[in-house]
Amino acid sequence: MSSAVATTGPTGRVRVDVRLLGIALVIAAAVGYLMYTGLQGSAASYFVTVSELQARASEVDGRRVRVGGDVVPGSIVHGGPGEPIHFRISDGTMELEVVYAGVLPDIFADGRHVIVEGLYRVGQPVQADSVLTQCPSRFEATPQASG
Amino acid sequence: MAQLGSGALILALILAVYGIGASLLGARRRMPELLQSAFRATYGVALLVALAVFALVMAFVRHDFRLAYVAARSSRDMPLHYVIAAFYGGQEGSLLYWAMVASVLGALALYLHRNSDRLLLPYMNATLLSILTFLLLVLTVVASPFRLLPVTPPDGAGLNPLLRDPGMMAHPPLLLAGYASFSVPFAFGMAALITGRLGSDWLRAIRRWALLSWAILGMGLLVGAWWAYHVLGWGGYWGWDPVENLALLPWLTSTAFLHSIIVQERRGMLKVWNLALLLATFALSIYGTFIVRSGILSSVHSFATSDIGHWFLVYLSLVLVVGIGLLVYRLPGLQSERRIESVTSREAGFLFNNLLLTGIAFAVFWGTNFVLFSELFWETRISVGPPFYNRVVGPLLLVLLLLMAIGPLLSWRRTELPILLRNLRWPVAGAVAVAVIGLLFFERAWAAFAFAVAIAATLVTVQEFWRGIAARRRMARENPLVAAWRLVERNNRRYGGYLVHFAVFLIAFGVIASNAFQIERQFVLRPGERGTIGAYTVVYRGLDDRRTADAEVVSAIVDVYRGDRFAGTVESHRYFYRNYEDQPTARMGIMLVGMDDVYVVLDRWQDDGTASLRVYINPLVIWIWIGAAVFLLGTVTLFWPQPVPVAVRVPRTLPGAAKEA
Repeated sequence: MSSAVATTGPTGRVRVDVRLLGIALVIAAAVGYLMYTGLQGSAASYFVTVSELQARASEVDGRRVRVGGDVVPGSIVHGGPGEPIHFRISDGTMELEVVYAGVLPDIFADGRHVIVEGLYRVGQPVQADSVLTQCPSRFEATPQASG
Repeated sequence: MAQLGSGALILALILAVYGIGASLLGARRRMPELLQSAFRATYGVALLVALAVFALVMAFVRHDFRLAYVAARSSRDMPLHYVIAAFYGGQEGSLLYWAMVASVLGALALYLHRNSDRLLLPYMNATLLSILTFLLLVLTVVASPFRLLPVTPPDGAGLNPLLRDPGMMAHPPLLLAGYASFSVPFAFGMAALITGRLGSDWLRAIRRWALLSWAILGMGLLVGAWWAYHVLGWGGYWGWDPVENLALLPWLTSTAFLHSIIVQERRGMLKVWNLALLLATFALSIYGTFIVRSGILSSVHSFATSDIGHWFLVYLSLVLVVGIGLLVYRLPGLQSERRIESVTSREAGFLFNNLLLTGIAFAVFWGTNFVLFSELFWETRISVGPPFYNRVVGPLLLVLLLLMAIGPLLSWRRTELPILLRNLRWPVAGAVAVAVIGLLFFERAWAAFAFAVAIAATLVTVQEFWRGIAARRRMARENPLVAAWRLVERNNRRYGGYLVHFAVFLIAFGVIASNAFQIERQFVLRPGERGTIGAYTVVYRGLDDRRTADAEVVSAIVDVYRGDRFAGTVESHRYFYRNYEDQPTARMGIMLVGMDDVYVVLDRWQDDGTASLRVYINPLVIWIWIGAAVFLLGTVTLFWPQPVPVAVRVPRTLPGAAKEA
């Protein structure tokens, strides 16, 4: 098979193969390096439930967290336009205070399952920079609003 | 209607199982009648699935709320087009739609290839029917869209407001059709592996089918970006949402596939790689379909949401085990016919392009599933957000752009370096000019560099067209327009590919500009007050409140000035749909001024009309949508019927194919 086309000698071919392999390895190493550094810093956050967060508070203190929970009914305090929103989320046993200053997602409401992401400090509300509701791409109609 | 639909699905399931047996037996015992009947079984399955879809759509149109699926997703006051669109708005319906696309395209492929690929067809048919058997099993056993409610409600719940948008009518069906249609090239690939006919004939058979799936999926992604930009209201078009990421994965691997099959066709290399890419693309399509349904990635409560996930997981493992097993079994027949002779050859260029594309796909896959991996390995769930993807994928995409600047200039086997450098003269000059200007005027150095690379790639592609046209003008004495038309028509694969490259460049310019130069400000304004953002002034005129058939609409009316010049009035809406009053859905006010999008989000308001508005200036985003149009044009060009139909039959007489038969 390999004799089909051989304009360069065997040593030349080996050199080409080594070079190709070298470039391939460089690409692979670059991807690996970028992925490794990408995981450091602010891109990664601990994904925990409210109870887990309380249990591991000291370990997670000062880091980014991503916490899932249901919005506690009646806990939403809208400020005036432009002011941050305060609310609490719960996983059934524990509750967590959240402060959020951005534009709320459309499906945000009492009892809705949300995932908040932001900086956590022990004893303070989570400073969320993102609040996600369940992904609309999942198509499922949300529980009947009118009951 | 319910009986008709579920009956059709059960019949289709039986027919599909029969068709698999008949295909395999017919091929083994060489019984043409049995094979004929197996093919007819596939046509029958396609018809029956289409009938089930018809039954479901009719149930929606007639508001037959006896069906749980219809009652949960439509209501009497919804406009007709959304009622019909609601049919794929839920899990069961979207799976039915998946099955319809796969079976109809599969039947079409069987029919079109009935004379040209006789030896592959029985196994292609069996593979296709095995996919359909799985889907039909799920549709009849666990997720039937025709399940009846014990009590018929007077009216339905209506469709989730976020899905009531023209973009959402096109985005899910395109993505799902893209996923589903990869069944056809996958079935051909499996047939090649099973029969051991691993020459280039199976590749010719599937190139167009792979291209079709890839084009549909690509359009689906672009429409999804458009929808996110117009409805979600965070000023962007791509949020690295897990579901979008998963749709990007098969698109990336199939892009790699479409490039590397050129190498196999021309040089007889990369055979294992191509089949592996095909397998990966199909597996990722299944994975994308399955994970959307499972709720694993978007929720902390993993593996609890839907029992359908297990079915898909088992099926996915089955596909991978069988696929990889066959690939290993056929390794001896998949030796390259030639070796790469030089690092600066076109085949090496394609190889690097493939490595980059799969590298990007791997990074995105890793990031999207990192929640699962980190839990598996470190017992801590760690999720990664957009900064991860931007840091990892951004530089890789830039290298890919750089490769798009060099790749078209490489020759097969070996490129003479002086010629390459001469051809790169003008593009490099253009890039240097842009880089210098960018470094002088931009605050962000990376943007100058990125623009420079994109300019170089664009100029190389323009130069390719220009040289082709110039050659035709010399040889055939045609006027430039005729020359351009004939050039693309005669070499549609090459120049169609370049058109798609143009689309990529347009999108790249839009992405670079909107990432580097987006301005965002939050205003709290009383009616009549103004705010400035960048070169623009917005004047908030007040709120407007009106009613439509199924919703109440609150709109903020905003005048936009560029400098002192009045540019226009823009309205940003919030819809309160009946049954979904607590889920106001936004429609952004977006106005194009020059090349900037002025993007106004109505956040909150008070009874006295004071409103909180978030305004973004997004430069060049319009180029992304123009790029989408060019992408469509390029894919149509790639599909343009080729003038030599004989080409389909030639390979069978080639020594390479004969040897393996």
